[in-house]
Amino acid sequence: MALPDTASLPPTRTDFRDRTVGRLLRRPSALVGLILLAGILAMAGFADIAFPGDPLDMAGTPLLRPGDAAEFPLGTDMMGRDLASGIFHGARVSLLIGGVAALVSLVIGIGIGALSGYYGGRVDRALMRVTELFQTIPPFLFTLALVAILQPSIATITTAIGITSWSGLARLVRAEVLRLRNSELAQASIILGASDARIIFLHILPNTLAPVIVSASILVATAILTESSLSFLGLGDPNVVSWGGMVGAGRETIRTDPHVAAIPGVAIVIAVLALNLLGDGLNDVLNGKGERR
Amino acid sequence: MIGRDRQVAGGIRRRMVVAAAMMMTAAAAVGVLPVSAGSAAAQEARKGGTLSIILQPEPVTLTPSTNMAQPTQVVAGNIFDGLVAYDFDLKPKPALAERWEVAPDGLTITFHLRSGVKWHDGKPFSAADVKWSLENIWKTIHPRNKSLFENVTQVDTPDDSTVILRLSKPSLPILSVLNGVGAPILPKHLYEGTDILNNPYNNKPVGTGPFVFKEWKRGEYVELARNPDYWEAGKPYLDRLLFRIIPDAAARAAAIEKGEIQYAPYNPVPFRDAERLSKLPRLKVDTRGYEWLSPLLYLDFNVENQYLKDVRVRRAIAHAIDRAALAKIVWFGYAKPAISPVPSSLVTFHNAKLPQYPFDVKKAEALLDEAGFKRDANGVRFTLTHDFLPYGDDYRRTGEFLKQALKRVGIEVTIRSQDSAAFIKRVYVDRDFDFAISYNNAFPDPQIGVVRAFWSGWLGTGTPWTNGSGYRNARADALIQEAGVEGDPAKRVAEFNEFQDIVLGDVPSLPLLELNFFSVYSADLQGIVEQGDQVYSSLKNARFVDAPKAN
Repeated sequence: MALPDTASLPPTRTDFRDRTVGRLLRRPSALVGLILLAGILAMAGFADIAFPGDPLDMAGTPLLRPGDAAEFPLGTDMMGRDLASGIFHGARVSLLIGGVAALVSLVIGIGIGALSGYYGGRVDRALMRVTELFQTIPPFLFTLALVAILQPSIATITTAIGITSWSGLARLVRAEVLRLRNSELAQASIILGASDARIIFLHILPNTLAPVIVSASILVATAILTESSLSFLGLGDPNVVSWGGMVGAGRETIRTDPHVAAIPGVAIVIAVLALNLLGDGLNDVLNGKGERR
Repeated sequence: MIGRDRQVAGGIRRRMVVAAAMMMTAAAAVGVLPVSAGSAAAQEARKGGTLSIILQPEPVTLTPSTNMAQPTQVVAGNIFDGLVAYDFDLKPKPALAERWEVAPDGLTITFHLRSGVKWHDGKPFSAADVKWSLENIWKTIHPRNKSLFENVTQVDTPDDSTVILRLSKPSLPILSVLNGVGAPILPKHLYEGTDILNNPYNNKPVGTGPFVFKEWKRGEYVELARNPDYWEAGKPYLDRLLFRIIPDAAARAAAIEKGEIQYAPYNPVPFRDAERLSKLPRLKVDTRGYEWLSPLLYLDFNVENQYLKDVRVRRAIAHAIDRAALAKIVWFGYAKPAISPVPSSLVTFHNAKLPQYPFDVKKAEALLDEAGFKRDANGVRFTLTHDFLPYGDDYRRTGEFLKQALKRVGIEVTIRSQDSAAFIKRVYVDRDFDFAISYNNAFPDPQIGVVRAFWSGWLGTGTPWTNGSGYRNARADALIQEAGVEGDPAKRVAEFNEFQDIVLGDVPSLPLLELNFFSVYSADLQGIVEQGDQVYSSLKNARFVDAPKAN
């Protein structure tokens, strides 16, 4: 297994970061993704300042259209709740769920992938059977079942999404680790007597970072979509505002007042689009395709 | 196919008779002469046509003997006639029983049956069918009626058209449940000696009603045809009823709008769409025809909860909820504030002179202060968890409304959602809840649908939609028992008045709204809503005034 020499020599950290960010900013799609994401993050950050009240408060006349009243720029839903306030506060919940769920699946996926790839043999076989088990169950149905059993709340929804979405990542990391396990870098460390943990964390995992970062951005996007679908089906946390929950609430009035469902729907589209654009950009840049363009 | 041919032949024969009497109308019915809309002849009694009806969700069975699900009853009401039907004031009017007498002591009820009535398979209907149904269905497996018919010790049938019920104690509510679904009469000759629950006729029912079962294509439709031998001369008017199963609300709304569906009972579309459809000239939205059910939305307090065991807290919550706003915002006006657990449609029993809980935030705050639950630094007195009946977004939004209403008086509410099996287990079996929203049909007599929420005898049985609050009051229990076996109607009214007074003072369960279900139907139709139990009854009076639209 002859590998190009450069692959076994990791670039230093600052190098990696500077070059990646620089190349990323030169790609228009990634740039758009970054800007959109920054906007959503700002909305989440400034929600309390822009809309200090409770977003669930029945603040105005029900079903105002956007522009009907100055104090409700995006209108109100069927309970008289301010849609603009819901979008801002909902950004928080959607990003929180997306971020934490992605983190959960990253920890599980990388953990299982790394152990499986590094140790091989019986460990590998056992862990891969488990992974396959998770892969054979349709992830959305699995999440649905978990949330229905655990009863919907932010914590259970996040956990359920995290638990059901790591299997692809685990296989990806395993493949990478398997490759690096036999590289000269790892072999040299073993000969030098480094511990397994040191080799995995210091030498192998940093080199799998590129595909992991790319899939993380997609994982966040998927988690936001999954939470929205759950809320749409009535399995969201009724105590907080989330974009999916808002779409679900607006479904009943879609013929008469489409804006109630459409506005949070657009927010979801933008968030998922931003993360996908960013993921694509990262993918191109980290795999070196950016230079060849 | 023999049966079907016979029906067709019967239909033609009948048409010829009618044609002799009313040439114009009959000719229009068989499609010989085009009749312009609104012509006098067409207005009178137009015959024929297919009525397409929404059936939602698909029923499990078509016979209302053990399964009391709403879609089963909507179809079955057309196939099975009851002993009586109910008018808008919920008074019984003759159907299969032409008249009836209740002995002054309430211990004997005699029904005189209509003669010459035939089952759809041609066999004669007789007193033996009623006796058999009472003994094998109403008294044993019918979920609502067991307790009402418990005291019937003997059923005598001196001749084929007389049924005499002999009771050990009076049971006046019996007279409120005798329609085709409340006390279904099944053909003894097809059911006797069989396993009633698994009898194949449950899904191809044979009744005495105005429409005959033809076909049930699962997932698509249930088809009924006109009963040419129906006992009421000239009825039904329609040739065919087609109950179509359309699971998606948006598709239902579209089908109604297009005229593909001409009659849609039981809130077929969301409230906001109903508002829109009601403005179309071709459609009518009607809340009549549900009086026999009288659905009531209520809030059960768990009286064992550390905060809710204090009656002042329960009263404070009652004062904190603006029921008029709840009816208007969440239920889009398809409800009205309830002031008693006995809905106002039960005219005889509803008592308007009762302890009231008008919307009054100051009073609510004062009661909570008095109970010793002061606001903390964050303005919160205590936190409760709320469970809502998972029957759709209307109930969820009611929960969200309560959350905001109680926040105003310093009670923080966490809403918990779950599926209906988990809800039932939590509230009625495990009693692991703080306060919960649910709804019950009251039916025409409080004995049937109201007292179950307050009688302590239900505690520990885990029966859904009974005493959810855990309420025990010896006097209320005694009144419930007495009214159950009281033979004097006036005394029963007095007993129920005292009962309402006690349970509204203690508020273990707070009546929130009297819900109004609604039906949507084509303006071309007449006779769609003619009685108080219409949705569970037959469409024998329904007819098109205009030429029915092609399907």
